[in-house]
Amino acid sequence: MSEEATNEVIIKLEGLSKRFGYGDAASYALKNFNLEVKRGEFIMIMGPSGCGKTTLLNIIGLLDTPTSGSYLLNNEPASRISPRLQARLRAKKIGFIFQNFNLIPNLPIIENVALPLVYSGYHKTRRLIRASETLDRFSLKEKEYYYPYQLSGGQQQRAAIARALVNKPEIILADEPTGNLDSRSSSLVMEELKQIHNEGNTIIMVTHNPALTSYATRVINMLDGAIDTDIKTVKDSDLPVPVEKKTPKKFFKKRKNNSKKKKGKK
Amino acid sequence: MALLLRTHYDLAKSSLKRNRSRSFLTCLGISIGVASIILILSLIGSVTNLISTQVASIGSDLIVVRPTSTRSTVDSVISELTTSTQYLKSNLTLKDVATIEKIEGVATASPLAVSVNSLHGETETTVPSATVVGTSSAFLKIQNLSLKNGTFLREDSETPTAVIGTKLANALFGTSEPVGKTLSLLGQRFIIVGVLAEVDDPINFNNIDLDNAVFVSASVLNNIDNSLQIQQINIRTETTDSVKQIAETIKERLVASKSGDTNFAVLSGDDITHPAGSLMFIVSGILTVVAGISLIVGGIGVMNIMLVSVAERTHEIGIRKAIGASSSNILLQFLIEALILSLSGGLLGFILGYGLSFLLCLITPFNPFISWQILAITFGVSLGTGLLFGLYPALKAARKNPIYSLKFWG
Repeated sequence: MSEEATNEVIIKLEGLSKRFGYGDAASYALKNFNLEVKRGEFIMIMGPSGCGKTTLLNIIGLLDTPTSGSYLLNNEPASRISPRLQARLRAKKIGFIFQNFNLIPNLPIIENVALPLVYSGYHKTRRLIRASETLDRFSLKEKEYYYPYQLSGGQQQRAAIARALVNKPEIILADEPTGNLDSRSSSLVMEELKQIHNEGNTIIMVTHNPALTSYATRVINMLDGAIDTDIKTVKDSDLPVPVEKKTPKKFFKKRKNNSKKKKGKK
Repeated sequence: MALLLRTHYDLAKSSLKRNRSRSFLTCLGISIGVASIILILSLIGSVTNLISTQVASIGSDLIVVRPTSTRSTVDSVISELTTSTQYLKSNLTLKDVATIEKIEGVATASPLAVSVNSLHGETETTVPSATVVGTSSAFLKIQNLSLKNGTFLREDSETPTAVIGTKLANALFGTSEPVGKTLSLLGQRFIIVGVLAEVDDPINFNNIDLDNAVFVSASVLNNIDNSLQIQQINIRTETTDSVKQIAETIKERLVASKSGDTNFAVLSGDDITHPAGSLMFIVSGILTVVAGISLIVGGIGVMNIMLVSVAERTHEIGIRKAIGASSSNILLQFLIEALILSLSGGLLGFILGYGLSFLLCLITPFNPFISWQILAITFGVSLGTGLLFGLYPALKAARKNPIYSLKFWG
């Protein structure tokens, strides 16, 4: 496989706008936004509050839809992906990490981590084995049956990262993952993310902390719903190559074939 | 799909376990509704069974003629019930009994002219509303009854005679052996010639409590009471082989002798119990509607709790959607939760309903009645309630916007 093919564009936003409200009350979180993300990039998005960073992550993560413009995920227009398939993509291909961890409080850590596998059709035993393995990687194996409130903020965030990674997604979207953590826990979490990135995963992370930009391969500054500055610190050719080669295109084709087969059966 | 359902079942179970008392109280709402339905159905079953058993014990060679409207419509059944059989104008006469007795294959026939009158004993004792049955000597044989002492009515007797039920004898004379004493009915004195053995069977196809009735000759009664009404003619055939055929012949002969009047029914076999069945049908219908209302209240309880649960878990719904749950996954999760609530309520109601019907059977002459149909109705009703009242909260949960939900901290 050539290097060019490996670092293909997996996210392409063109003329993307997101409006909230109508008429005189309308305001734009994103305005004519253009962005191309290549596989293996670690993008750090910075900017003042309300400049549209989180909205951008939500749209990329298929949780929200743009008002206008196009969003191509693996060259497939997101608007043409059915809500059901969007949910499957969120379960299998996209991992979310939130500032406030968003662990379900009444489920033990292991079940929280195994949650994306529930919606990917894994049997309970396999789910728990895989979640346990992932937690082991984040040194939380001995705490897998603890509840979220029994863990420190740093441990909770590591568990949340474990949950985002349990399905081995290709894109990781992190919304201020270190925002609620002290500096020691922050650097631990960032080291984990760096490790994940080195394995060839694409990470898009929103942060307010300029000190963390050293981990990124590309730093984007946003202002009023548009890109202000866009600096690449690593050449495209130096981006990490995925450890496990997966081609998202095939994923789409496979889904299409499956749906055709199902229709045929009916 | 099965795996997903299993997963949703596990999720729903653990979520219900977290709110044990809340879940139990919601179940209780459903179980009260289901228990009422079970209780009613079980009692109806018991009564129907009781009457069928009686008819079976009397024998398959029994034919009954009753004055009737066509009985094929609900309206006619209702009018029959509201007017009461005592006041229903009967077109049957003693002449019809004679016509029937002449038909080939008929062993014997006896009329039943039931009225309610006041009876006077020898002393001051009076029974203001006793059941008076005008019949013939054949009645004893047709009904397979036995006498405690004395003899039954005799057609050749010159003086008016009467046979009395045990309980009525006690009420009127203060003894269960009043043979030889006299009673006064409509100004006519009757000599008691016999006492029926106690039957203790207040519910039967004749609609007569035999222990609380006095039996006199229908022809004598006809002489003193011009407005005598024959409500029923009971007939025994000689063999059990051609009962249907004989019933047809009876019908034809009666129509011919009554100049084409067809306002009567000739019934045999299970049809004999139908008037009682119709009564039960209407009473049970009304009671089921009442029980249904309590079930609806229970269902609203399920909906209410599920709506609270959805509101409380908005943030959880947001997280689940963000990490890959589709709207149908969320819908299924909450719907299964509602179904578990209603089905456990149904199970509890089933046990409760049968427990109550067993208790009730201790103080009534019925035997508890259990059938697979009642079980199926319980399951169906619980499932239906869960689906009906669980769907709206589940849809509400499924339609939640993940971004809004993630920001929501209940």
